[in-house]
Amino acid sequence: MSGLTAAILVGALFATGAYLILRRDPIKLILGLTMVSYGVNVLLFTSSTLRKGIPPVIADKKTFTGDISQFVDPLPQALVLTAIVISFGIVAFLVVLVSRRNMLVEQYGKAPDAPTAINDPFGATAHYLSGLDADPDDYEWVDDTFREPAQSERS
Amino acid sequence: MHVDPNWLAAFIAAPGVAASLGLLFTGWGLRRSVAWQYRLALIGALINFAVSVPVLLVTQAGNRLVLQMGLYQAPFGITVIADALSGLMLFFTALVAVTTLIYARGTLDDRDRLNFYPLLLLLIMGVNGAFLTGDMFNLYVFFEVLLVGSFALLTLGGQIGQINGGIRYVLLNMLASTFFLAAAGVIYGTAGTLNMAQLAERLPQAPPSVQLLIAGLLMIAFSTKAGLFPLFFWLPASYHTAHPAVTALFGGLLTKLGVYTLFRIYPLLFPELLQEWQGFVFVVAALTMITGIFGAMAVNTMRRVLSFHIISQVGYMIMGLGLAATGNPAMATFGLAAGILYVVHQMLVKTAILMAGGAAELEAGSGSLLRERMMGLRQRAPALAVIFFIAAMSLAGLPPSSGFVSKLWLLQGAIDAGHWAIAAVSLIVSLFTLMSMLRIWQKAFWGYPKAEYQVPSPIATPSRQWLTLAPIAVLLAFSLWIGIFSGPALQWFDTAAAQALDRAGYIQAVSPTNTIEYLGGSYDAK
Repeated sequence: MSGLTAAILVGALFATGAYLILRRDPIKLILGLTMVSYGVNVLLFTSSTLRKGIPPVIADKKTFTGDISQFVDPLPQALVLTAIVISFGIVAFLVVLVSRRNMLVEQYGKAPDAPTAINDPFGATAHYLSGLDADPDDYEWVDDTFREPAQSERS
Repeated sequence: MHVDPNWLAAFIAAPGVAASLGLLFTGWGLRRSVAWQYRLALIGALINFAVSVPVLLVTQAGNRLVLQMGLYQAPFGITVIADALSGLMLFFTALVAVTTLIYARGTLDDRDRLNFYPLLLLLIMGVNGAFLTGDMFNLYVFFEVLLVGSFALLTLGGQIGQINGGIRYVLLNMLASTFFLAAAGVIYGTAGTLNMAQLAERLPQAPPSVQLLIAGLLMIAFSTKAGLFPLFFWLPASYHTAHPAVTALFGGLLTKLGVYTLFRIYPLLFPELLQEWQGFVFVVAALTMITGIFGAMAVNTMRRVLSFHIISQVGYMIMGLGLAATGNPAMATFGLAAGILYVVHQMLVKTAILMAGGAAELEAGSGSLLRERMMGLRQRAPALAVIFFIAAMSLAGLPPSSGFVSKLWLLQGAIDAGHWAIAAVSLIVSLFTLMSMLRIWQKAFWGYPKAEYQVPSPIATPSRQWLTLAPIAVLLAFSLWIGIFSGPALQWFDTAAAQALDRAGYIQAVSPTNTIEYLGGSYDAK
């Protein structure tokens, strides 16, 4: 029964996460990523046998003579712990990236992905080119690739 | 020749210690901090390189170096193993690391490049660890180590283009890691171990449906990292936004690591499944080549074109994996050796051409191929033009370079085995690669410089010129060496492929135990 519960939980977390990641809002994206990593953590946890009330440690190994296969494997818990730490760190980094992006967008009042940002000096040009005038070709993506820049844009 | 396996720890310790010590210098005032970080990083990278030479020679003699950390026996401790494939990868990674450090010293600005060198070494530590590990979960951890380093390097500088590229890069790589982790969970639940040698014993006995699930999850994870056909979108969205030195390092190492894991995991753990998948692998390889090269034709800035070329070239390496997916051992070795040669060729040439392209962008103040900003670089920077030309011709596959030899080998393998379709696709894509290179040459190097676009070059001083161009020349010298003296060089790749396909030898080298001993008795974990 607990296996089935875990399977449903993993599925629900993955589904929620996938749905949230496909939204445009960066905050939902981060939440979705967190959900997916929780789902994987639960999945990792189920890779040891799920049994109630059985400890992963042998209390007194000197006198222990029973069947070792009756104990729960402690390794998946260690794996889950590692995975939690790593995904937490990366999600924190992603939060910083998104907040920095929002700050820059607020500061310059332009959506960086919008095609109107063609003369935005803070677009896709790497910072080492800042100070030189920005190049519209650095922003274009496949949709406006074959457009010759108009004379007015040539600056 | 004998090398103590304990030296393998140096591949992780030397970059790790140098990076940590470098971080201590951050409070010293900018110029001095950066200078000291650079010196420490160079020492770390040189130690790494110095250790990689004997390891390469020993593994080429047919030995596997195995280090069981803390002397715990195989499935319980951490296994570190270097065979000929890892040895080659470690050597060329160390070479790329040293050259990129020097190139970065030539092109970086002290201003806001604090902590660049420690981060670069952290990335190298992760890459080395992933090449060396004999354990699935450690592979995941080392992937994360190098990813965290690459996230920071990619967004260093914090411009909005970098942040936008960085969000896509972090998101898609994190999702790929999640798939990898899920695969690790299923593997442990199925086989009760994460040690690769033990998995090689146990996984082929697992039910076919479970094998398919594991292999599929791993395929999604690794092909995202390698930039294969439907999963490559993070790469062209982010690589060109970083500094040229960062782009060169990523282009030279990260996707190649994804390909290495494919070469390592599939022949070792799923030999039968891989043979069933041969057609699928060829289709993915062909689509990767074609989408990559068409993407490169469609974009108009220097490093964006070169980023799409990374994808297209990964297709050739996967073609090598497809050739290895056959029951005939001689042909499998031949095909995998060609794939490994292609990986090494790309590590050298892709790093070199991204360095040269980045230097050209710095020289011209723009990467645009559509307008006339980069015109006439041949006159403004003749040495750079020569170096770029050699790199471009090696990438396109002209003799006498490693590009020619590796493409010839792949083609011979494909034609011998009768895979005419993939051979034709690879030839056509080669032609398009040459066209794309000629387009860059025409738009950036030929012609006459326009006076109104002249900008002061940040790499104009003689010392900076030297630091920028010498590393590229070294990488290209290796590429030409593989091309000209191909006979002895090709031996390396044959040995590497033979060892990568030798499952029994790998299992025997690690020799994992199936018995858990404890004071009350023992328990057979099988």
